[in-house]
Amino acid sequence: MKYLSWAYLVALFGFILLPVVTLVIFSFQDGRLPVPPFKGVTFEWYAKILTDRAMMEALGNSLIVALLSPLVALTLGFLAASGLARVVLPGSVLMRGLLIAPMTVSYLIIALGLLQMFNQIGIRPSLLATGIGHVVINLPLCFAILYAAIGEHQKSALKAARDLGAREWQVLWFVAAPMLTPALAAAFFLAFTFSWDEFIIAFLLTRFDVTLPVEIWSMLRSGLSPATNAVGSLVFLVSVIVVVALELTLFRKGSK
Amino acid sequence: MTADVHVKAVEHRFNSFTALHRVDLQIAAGEFIVLLGPSGCGKTTLLSIIGGFLTPSEGQVLIGGRDMTHVAPKDRPTTTMFQDYALFPHMSLRDNVAFGLRMRGMAKAARNAKALEMLEMVGLADKAARRPHELSGGMRQRVALARALAVEPDVLLLDEPLGALDLKLRRQMQEELKAIQRRVGTTFVHVTHDQEEAMAIADRIVVMNHGRIEHCGTPEEVYLTPKTMFSADFMGETNRIPVSPAGAGVTSQLGLLAIAPAEGTLCLRPESIGLTGAFSLGRATLVEAAFYGSYHRCHFRPLAAPEMLLTAHLPQGEHPRPGAEVELFGRNPVVLAPVAKAAA
Repeated sequence: MKYLSWAYLVALFGFILLPVVTLVIFSFQDGRLPVPPFKGVTFEWYAKILTDRAMMEALGNSLIVALLSPLVALTLGFLAASGLARVVLPGSVLMRGLLIAPMTVSYLIIALGLLQMFNQIGIRPSLLATGIGHVVINLPLCFAILYAAIGEHQKSALKAARDLGAREWQVLWFVAAPMLTPALAAAFFLAFTFSWDEFIIAFLLTRFDVTLPVEIWSMLRSGLSPATNAVGSLVFLVSVIVVVALELTLFRKGSK
Repeated sequence: MTADVHVKAVEHRFNSFTALHRVDLQIAAGEFIVLLGPSGCGKTTLLSIIGGFLTPSEGQVLIGGRDMTHVAPKDRPTTTMFQDYALFPHMSLRDNVAFGLRMRGMAKAARNAKALEMLEMVGLADKAARRPHELSGGMRQRVALARALAVEPDVLLLDEPLGALDLKLRRQMQEELKAIQRRVGTTFVHVTHDQEEAMAIADRIVVMNHGRIEHCGTPEEVYLTPKTMFSADFMGETNRIPVSPAGAGVTSQLGLLAIAPAEGTLCLRPESIGLTGAFSLGRATLVEAAFYGSYHRCHFRPLAAPEMLLTAHLPQGEHPRPGAEVELFGRNPVVLAPVAKAAA
C-alpha cells in the first residue's frame, strides 16, 4: 500500500511535469528538431534567442505590461475593496458582482469587446491597449483577493485610525495597505503571471509592439525548432521565480 | 483635556428598528459614566453616536457646549477604546501610541517622547519597541488605552474594553482604569453589560433597556433605590413581595409590615434580609443553605406564605441549619409602584 501511494505520487508529478521537463531538455538539443533522440547538449539555441532583436523586444514589452498593468489593477482593486468594505451602499452586492463579473467572461470576448471599443475611441492596437486589456482581466482578481482579506480585525483598525484623526488617504496609506501587505503581494504576483502568459488579448490588441507569447506564436508558425523550446524554458523560468516569490510571501503570512 | 457631554433628545433608527427612543443625558466634565444594560439595549449605539460613528436620526450631541452631531470622528475631541483593541499590528507599541499625534502633525521626537510617557503611565515603557502580537490581552488593552489618551481627548469612549479579559485581570484593570481616569481628569464614558464592573468604576451608572434610560444615578442609588423593576433586577437579585397600604404600614402575604404605606412591589436584596433589621418579615423556615465564602446563601419559606421563597445572604458567622425556624427582618425597603412598571 505504501509503495503504491509513492508510485501514485511519482506518476502524478510525472504527468504534471513531464511536458515541461521535455521542453526544457530539448531546448538544449544539438540538432535542428526538438524531438528524440537527444543528440547532445548545446547552448546554441539560447544564444540565438538572446541575440534575436525581435524576441528581446517582445520580452521587454512583456515585462513592461506584466509589471505595470498589475500595478494599476492592484491600485484600483485596493481602492474598490477598501471602499466597499467600509460603507454599506445601496447596491453594494451588485457593485461587487459587477467588479468580479469580467472573471467569468472568456478572454476572447473581452479582447473582442475592447478591440471594438478602442476602434471607436481611436486607440490603435498597441502595448497600451494590451495593458488596458490586462487591467480588465486582473482587476476582478485583485479586488476579490483584497476584499476577502479585509476582515473585521482590519475594519476596526481602520475605524480606530479615523478616530485618531487620520484622513482617508492616511488611513489607506499608513494602516490599510501595510496591514494588507501579504494579500497585496499575492494579488500582484498572481496578476503578474496572468499578464505574463496572456496570449489572446495581447494577440488581438497589439500590432507591432507584440508581447512574448505572441512572438512565440509567430515563431511556431515557421515550424518546430529547439529555439522555441529555449524561449519556452525562459518564460517558464520567470513564472517559477514569481510563483516561488508568491509562496514565500504567503508562507510569511502563515507563520505570523 | 476634559469636557461635558450633553445628549439631547437623541433618537436612532436602523431601518424599522428604533435603537434609541429620545434619550436625554447630561454628563459632567471629568465624570466616569457607565452605560449599563443587556445586549441590544442601545448602549453601544449611544456610544457610537457620541463618538461620531453614527449620526442620530434625530436629536443633538453637544461636547463642551459645541454641537458635534454632524462632525466626523476624526474632528471630534473624543477617542474610542475599542472592544477588540484595534491596535495596528504592523507598528511597534510606540508607533501605535504616537499614531494620533502623528496625524496631528507633531514632530517625530516630540511624539515619541509623548508616546513613551503614555506607555510609562500604563506600565509598558520597557516594551515600546515590541509589536502588539507579542503581548498578552491585558497588555494590549493598556496600549489601546495609552493610544486613545495620547491625543489628550476631552472625552474617552470605552466600548466594553474589559469583555475579553479573564475575571481576575478584569478586576485589576477596573481599578487601573479608575485610577488613570482620576489622574488625567478626562470624561470617561464606558459601556458594559457587567453590573459589578459598572458599580466598581462608575461615578454614575446609566441603566438602559430597550433604547431607553431606566435609571441614572450613583452606584449606591441605582443598587439600593432602583427606580424601575428592570433596573432592580439587572443590578442584582431581588426578592419581590406585592404590598398594598394598610394604616401606618403595608399588608402583604407575609402579614402587616412596618414600612411606609405604598402600593406596589416591595423589593428586598438578599443581603437586606437577615436575623436582625429594621422591620419584621415574620417567621420562616430555612429550606436550604449554601456557603459562598463571604456569606451563606439561604432560602427561607415564610410560615405565613409557604408558596413563597425568600433568598437571603446571611453573614459568615451565622450557622443556619435547614429546617430551623427563625424570625426574619428586612432593611432598605424599596417599594416600586405598579404604574412605574407599566410605564417602563
